[in-house]
Amino acid sequence: MTLRLRLNGRPVQAQADPAMRLSDLLRDVLGLTGTKIGCNAGDCGACTVLLDGRQVCACLVPAARAEGCDIRTVEGLAEGGALNALQAAFLRHGAAQCGICTPGMLMAATDLLARLPTPTEAQVQDALGGVLCRCTGYRKIIDAVLDVAGPSPPVAGAMGARLPKVDGPAKLTGAERFGADALPDEAFLTIRAIRSPHAHARFTLGDFAPLLAAHPGLLRVLTAADLPGARVFGIYPTGKDQPVLADGLVRHRGEPVCALLGDAATLAGIPEGDVPVAWEPLPEVTFAAGGPDLHAHAPGNVLCRGLVARGDPATGFAAAAARADIATATGFVEHAYIEPEAGYARRVGDGMEVVACTQTPYMDRDEIALILGIPPERVRVIPTAVGGGFGGKLDLSIQPLACVAAWLTLRPVRMVYGRGESMAASTKRHPARIAAAAAADAGGRLTAFTFHGDFDTGAYASWGPTVANRVPVHAMGPYAVPHVRCTTAALHTNGPPAGAFRGFGVPQAAIAGEALMDMLAAQLGLDPWDIRRINALGEGSTTATGQMLGAGAALPECLDAIRPRWQALRQEASDFNRQAGVLRRGAGLACMWYGIGNTSMSNPSEMVIGIGADGRCTLFSGAVDIGQGSNTIMVQIAAEALGVPPEALNLVSGDTKTTRDAGKTSASRQSFVSGNAARLAGAALRAEILRRANAGPEAMIMLHDGRISVVSGDAATILDPAAMAPDAEGLVLRGEGRFDPPTTALDAHGQGIPYACYAFAAQAALVEVDTALGTVRVLRIVAAHDVGRAVNPTLVEGQIHGGIAQGLGLALMEEYLPGRTDNLHDYLIPTIGDVPEIETILVERPDPLGPYGAKGVGEPALVATAPAILNAIADAIGARLTRVPATPDRVLAALAR
Amino acid sequence: MSSLSYAAPATVDEAIGLLAGASGLAKVLSGGTDLLVQLRSGRTRPALIVDTKKIPGIIGIREVDGGFVIGAATSGAMIGEHAALAAVYPGVVEATNLIGSTQVQGRASLAGNLCNASPAADSVPAMIAAGATAVIAGPKGRRTVPVEQVVTGPGRTSLARDEFIVEFHLPKRAPRSADAYLRFIPRTEMDIAVVGAGVNVTLDAAGVCTAARVSLGAVAPTALLVADCAAALVGSKLDEHALAKLDLAARDACKPIDDKRGTIDFRIKVAGVLARRAAAIAFERAAARS
Ligand SMILES: Cc1cc2nc3c(=O)[nH]c(=O)nc-3n(C[C@H](O)[C@H](O)[C@H](O)COP(=O)(O)OP(=O)(O)OC[C@H]3O[C@@H](n4cnc5c(N)ncnc54)[C@H](O)[C@@H]3O)c2cc1C
Ligand code: FES
Ligand code: FES
Repeated sequence: MTLRLRLNGRPVQAQADPAMRLSDLLRDVLGLTGTKIGCNAGDCGACTVLLDGRQVCACLVPAARAEGCDIRTVEGLAEGGALNALQAAFLRHGAAQCGICTPGMLMAATDLLARLPTPTEAQVQDALGGVLCRCTGYRKIIDAVLDVAGPSPPVAGAMGARLPKVDGPAKLTGAERFGADALPDEAFLTIRAIRSPHAHARFTLGDFAPLLAAHPGLLRVLTAADLPGARVFGIYPTGKDQPVLADGLVRHRGEPVCALLGDAATLAGIPEGDVPVAWEPLPEVTFAAGGPDLHAHAPGNVLCRGLVARGDPATGFAAAAARADIATATGFVEHAYIEPEAGYARRVGDGMEVVACTQTPYMDRDEIALILGIPPERVRVIPTAVGGGFGGKLDLSIQPLACVAAWLTLRPVRMVYGRGESMAASTKRHPARIAAAAAADAGGRLTAFTFHGDFDTGAYASWGPTVANRVPVHAMGPYAVPHVRCTTAALHTNGPPAGAFRGFGVPQAAIAGEALMDMLAAQLGLDPWDIRRINALGEGSTTATGQMLGAGAALPECLDAIRPRWQALRQEASDFNRQAGVLRRGAGLACMWYGIGNTSMSNPSEMVIGIGADGRCTLFSGAVDIGQGSNTIMVQIAAEALGVPPEALNLVSGDTKTTRDAGKTSASRQSFVSGNAARLAGAALRAEILRRANAGPEAMIMLHDGRISVVSGDAATILDPAAMAPDAEGLVLRGEGRFDPPTTALDAHGQGIPYACYAFAAQAALVEVDTALGTVRVLRIVAAHDVGRAVNPTLVEGQIHGGIAQGLGLALMEEYLPGRTDNLHDYLIPTIGDVPEIETILVERPDPLGPYGAKGVGEPALVATAPAILNAIADAIGARLTRVPATPDRVLAALAR
Repeated sequence: MSSLSYAAPATVDEAIGLLAGASGLAKVLSGGTDLLVQLRSGRTRPALIVDTKKIPGIIGIREVDGGFVIGAATSGAMIGEHAALAAVYPGVVEATNLIGSTQVQGRASLAGNLCNASPAADSVPAMIAAGATAVIAGPKGRRTVPVEQVVTGPGRTSLARDEFIVEFHLPKRAPRSADAYLRFIPRTEMDIAVVGAGVNVTLDAAGVCTAARVSLGAVAPTALLVADCAAALVGSKLDEHALAKLDLAARDACKPIDDKRGTIDFRIKVAGVLARRAAAIAFERAAARS
């Protein structure tokens, strides 16, 4: 049918199928990809547009219903090419991190502001309640809407400046290209994986000829027999175990067994049941009960073990005045980035080009090369903007199938996961089963700590070894303990592969450890703050791996900073509890530490900055910005080192052909590791310019009108790039930087220097529990974070807010149940109404190794939140929950015990 | 998939004709917030969609004889913005306003919420408690049925394939009458009810309850009208004795399922607590409407 409507003020006509949705009409027919698809079910609000002035989910509106209507999308917001007031407020407040939710947020806010130009916070929460954000914790979005009329003050300087994100404007206008927005220029094929409905099964594929005959648009069906190179992939160089396509046996729900290749409409119309797969279900190996070995290389289903041992815990326990024991359990947690995995692959000559959302372009490149059986140099990975990652986009997703299909057919192949597929096929946070004990002397000084954690690593290894190695180092928490024994095991089950998720197992361990601290404090009559302060690791402390901490260890400072807030929260809770009633309040405190970068492994980053013959200065950064803001951070650091304002730099980011390897965006390493590389590159370019100008180190560099002025005192030298000879990459002047954090291997007892830098934090939570219903409301969070130096305070706060929101989800509502929660209404993540007011306190004590003292904050933000909330619940109701999420039925059950 | 056709008839009769004449499954479309999700997931594969939006009166709220007539496809947002309705039937309005986010509110209708026949539909217990009736149009004309008789089981209604709901009636109120609806969800918003409780009461001048209707959602295959709960309230001023009887009657009526949102025991307990709390709100509101 032909539709006539007004789109962003202009009349348009379009052809649409009656079953088509408005979201698809806008994106696929009219080419406006600013409207995003996160779920296609009304749950996420990423597709929010205005229909006759009111916010609607475009995915729930039949295109036919748009006939004669006035539709406004994010592309219609900017005025005369400039951001409108709302967009400017979002930019100023850092309200867009990855930006995938931003169009929906902007449209919902536009609807609100048209009716209520000066809304209250509650009205903003109400109006934006249908749009989910996984990055920001919503607070900066609320601030932006409330401050829509506010001024945009000029930002000066590089390091420490609240510089708006360099990639911010594109995220606010809808121009940013995410995985599903990037399309090949040529006609392309679509690939659809057929996935196992069983957790463990043998299968045989039937004859595809009837299916192919029935659907002319179905080109071919890929099976394991078609794979050109390696049939399995995996994060670690040894032990690759995850099949590109299963070969007769599946080990988890959602594992692909074959893939249909054809045009999108045909593929969408083929019912799953028409694909001939005969299943023979096998008994499921579970975390609770175990079962027969799933992999020959992992006897007893043990993928690997980890250990940190120091002193003799028995001595420590014997000498103690108090001892506490705990057993805790956590489940699978889904990353729930709002952008499902998407992208395309195309064959270019004898090479492969992959355009997709990823956190780790270089690892992808090498892995794709193995799968195709070609050298890595022939693979080019071009990352799109990433609509949230949190560790989940460190594993391959659409790349293997899209690449194999493109390789075999010589045609571009696109793959876009739906929400259900994204949840079924992607990795999860490891479930953990922990038993731990701690002891302290009468003065509260810790004497011993023991810990064993089993981690459910699911069907395949993924990042399981990382979790098993990282956890024992961190399990005792950020405290000095003389006698320690921490062990871990990563166990295979028929669960989804558990991979990397913000914190790599440390958040699960902190739930146990921080409970023990409160239990010891209670036994000894100490305030929870005091016991933490007494034992806090600081400068000169020795860790359980025998590492002496340097000047950057600032937990004592974090605790001191949070103390007045902590006391106020405790007072508020006890004042409230003086009144009778079903509502009870409690305050909880938790600390955390987190090693920045890979555990005892080289993880270098390289950066290049250079000036072209046109005088333009460009930073070539391979660090992928997944919303956390590394694009902006790298520019700020490099500009500081070069001695120019950040606006003077252009950025080329994250393409394996045009940039160097800056490692993966994980382990909170980009600010610290890549930041150092950016600093060194900037400094090298500065040195080169000063050398050419014959100027001293104090000289000022200015880039203007294609020239470089070097001013020293009242002498000025002008360099003319146009007169210099460009190198192979078109640069006339360049600086390079490489940084690899100094670590040492851990010995058989886990002794050594696993990380060059640690971040610390203390967080306090105030909660209210409805003791008749078991519901928990978090009323406030205060977060004091040791960030070394805040390169950009707005971005740091944004990371902390977002981490806290995810920690709150872990504590109260999130648990992924394979096959039962593969959507965003059964898998609950915090909405705008769930995240409380957050006060962040940035403790800036420069790390001697960090770029200008900076360290990472991405994962540290999350670790302390769940323990603080759980401690607050225990304070409120006098009963401790040892299993998360603390759902209302579990809270009631704890109360009844 | 592309064999799906779409029609937007301009009259009730035309709509009935389309429904009766459809070659395969025909689905009525109001707000589409359930239907589009089910189309996408393949849970329903209709041959024809009959969009009611062009039928006069299908959207809108009228005051008639002291009561209200609400068009079947009227959105939750319109219901929420109707001041007179909110004053007289605050429970129905608050229940309707709990359906989904602001975006969903702008589309979701009472007819869709009812005919989708989910046991957890929020407006349904409130409508049942309020004594609402549905006007159903079919080839033989119109019939009026109490809301509690429309849904027969999860996903099933008593409507014939050529029938659809055109409007709902909410009766004229006696003085000192009011209703309330509460639901329990684990998250603060955007979630499906684990338990819903609607309570509607009339008080005498002394504050004693003379009539009551109590309905529970999400605790059985369909929303329940629980006579024992009403009996617990009638004759009381909502003292602790009445509340305890109400709580017990609510728990007794529950036949819930065990799922990830709540165990059977938990749902039963919550039903009692919510019935108490909703009754307290309804009594307070009724007392204020003298
Ligand atoms: C994100 C999201 C959140 C939601 N949250 C909630 C919630 O909190 N509480 C809740 O109760 N529901 C919720 N829902 C479900 C849904 O929004 C409601 O059930 C809504 O009231 C359905 O109304 P509709 O007009 O959109 O129905 P439609 O989708 O148009 O129709 C639903 C069903 O009713 C039938 N139907 C529609 N109109 C008629 C008629 N006039 N006569 C006969 N049959 C008819 C349709 O054929 C279809 O089977 C949510 C849905 C989404 C997508
Ligand atoms: S894509 Fe429409 S609500 Fe998620
Ligand atoms: S910024 Fe909201 S989802 Fe990433």
